[in-house]
Amino acid sequence: MGQTIAEKILSRHNLAQAPLKAGDFIGARIDGAMCHYQFMDIHRLAVEAGFEEGFPRVWDTGRVYLLVDHHQPALAQSYADENVLIRKEARRLGIEHFHDAEPGIAHQMMPDYGYVRPGELVVGNDSHTIAYGALNAGSTGITRADMLYVLLFGELWFQVPKSIRIVLEGRQPGYPIAKDIILYLAGRYGDDFAQNMALEFTGSLVPQLSMDSRMCLSTHGVEVAAKLAMFPFDEKTRAYVEARTDKPYEPVAADPDAAYAKEIVVNVDEMPFVVAKPHQFGNVGPVDEVKGVEVDQAQIGSCSNGRFEDIEIAARMLKGRKVAKGVRFIISPSSQQVYLQCLKAGLIESLVESGAHVVTPGCGVCQPKVGYLSDGEVCITATTRNFKGRKGSLKAEIYLGGPLTVTAAAVAGRIVNPKEVFDGL
Amino acid sequence: MGFDLNRAIRGRVWKFGDSVDTDSINPFYLYHTMEELKKHTLESFRPEFPKEVKPGDIIVAGRNFGCGSHRPGLVLREVGVAAIVVESASRLFLRNTIALPMPIFIAPGISQLVDDGETLELDYQAGVARNTATGAAVAIPKFPPMIEQIYACGGLPRLARQRYLAETRTGG
Ligand code: SF4
Repeated sequence: MGQTIAEKILSRHNLAQAPLKAGDFIGARIDGAMCHYQFMDIHRLAVEAGFEEGFPRVWDTGRVYLLVDHHQPALAQSYADENVLIRKEARRLGIEHFHDAEPGIAHQMMPDYGYVRPGELVVGNDSHTIAYGALNAGSTGITRADMLYVLLFGELWFQVPKSIRIVLEGRQPGYPIAKDIILYLAGRYGDDFAQNMALEFTGSLVPQLSMDSRMCLSTHGVEVAAKLAMFPFDEKTRAYVEARTDKPYEPVAADPDAAYAKEIVVNVDEMPFVVAKPHQFGNVGPVDEVKGVEVDQAQIGSCSNGRFEDIEIAARMLKGRKVAKGVRFIISPSSQQVYLQCLKAGLIESLVESGAHVVTPGCGVCQPKVGYLSDGEVCITATTRNFKGRKGSLKAEIYLGGPLTVTAAAVAGRIVNPKEVFDGL
Repeated sequence: MGFDLNRAIRGRVWKFGDSVDTDSINPFYLYHTMEELKKHTLESFRPEFPKEVKPGDIIVAGRNFGCGSHRPGLVLREVGVAAIVVESASRLFLRNTIALPMPIFIAPGISQLVDDGETLELDYQAGVARNTATGAAVAIPKFPPMIEQIYACGGLPRLARQRYLAETRTGG
């Protein structure tokens, strides 16, 4: 019996060096460990466990990526104070890849800097670490306690996941649809249909998908509870990776006779624009079902949708139009590199001319930090989550949609089918 | 602080539905200290929970408990929750809770077994969760030895410490 991508990648990293199948419990060798702004929480766990001075070492100073992301520059005194401690620890431990003076989201900066390569096993103490599956890497979020173990030994326990094949068929339209695809899947199959499993994306749409769209889909793997969310390696992956790193790598592919727990086919040509209604990712319906709901705030950003194509579609659609009066349309690129790319393409100028706010790259728009909502306010957002209280008030309502749907709502001042606002879609 | 998996647990049940998220369990965006978190944990699902939860209580929930971010449920242990029993748990929440360690059991059928406020008895060694009023029971599956060892050591950080000491002592 052949192996899935997940079985193969974990076999390759199995400390016991034996081939694996779904269900096996293993100790795995880790290629890269991403830590972010909560590094001191891991340090404190180490102190509590008896390492009085903190970590006595990290297993490999070149394989730990410490990106003090989320809130740069510091959005509160507590972050400023914590950042000073992190800097001290990073120096003491000799961590080679350390970024703490740069705004952005780690899940964009990791690929930006070429820190993730196809075929690697990369972990991070953040749930959206699953994002790098877009680059054909086995990547997943782990806990702070897990990270403590990884930092010391470069190893971690895993259960080899079963896999689901997501077959995406159809044509890529002239605007991004990755968000609609994942929302559609969560709505149709539940927000935990991939619990503890691996997603493998395949089908005729996949070669047409940009790296930005692939990263959106992989990032959102965790919103359907997956452990891994992987794309096959192709020319697009090669171009993306080799523009950023010259380290060698070895892509991974499934065997033709691999066994899957399930296969789900989506024909995107027939897929409507969808939104997740408050307060769960799986509470999904066609956008027409909620059209007319007035919005106070619209947002594009986060590790799911702060990439070039998300911002480009907003700028393209806003050109010659204005954001509706009274609506706060907030856009946050996911990293400095993405920001620069948008600036050079002239997107930022046209967004600002149309009345959008462009804010510093980072996690602010995804959390309450930038753009709190008050009681009764409504927000439509291309970010990751719409849990109650995610943007402040427990009495605010958050809808999730793709960047096009969000832009349409920003222009109309209410949720609307993008086809009603923009011609020629 | 270790946890003996083989000690039976008996407690009053707080019931929750599906996809209870970690933003709700641990709303740290809004509340920054453990004392504040204790006053607000799970209030977005059940406003009375943080006010009325008592040490020894048990959380019973539906599918996908602890979905969302990788934040731990330490606050639940801090308010005294003795165990969490769910139809299914989010993978990261499950890893987190094992690492703490705090008892968490995936027991399909549990939400049908007990009502809110009833008493549940959990016997890991016997592999059963029982409603003490009705006598009805569902199975609690065994963990693999790797995970039992984490519980026995008092959590993953302590297991890591033991391994580190063992390796450095032998010069390995
Ligand atoms: S953008 Fe949001 S979901 Fe992504 S890493 Fe930042 S806070 Fe987490």
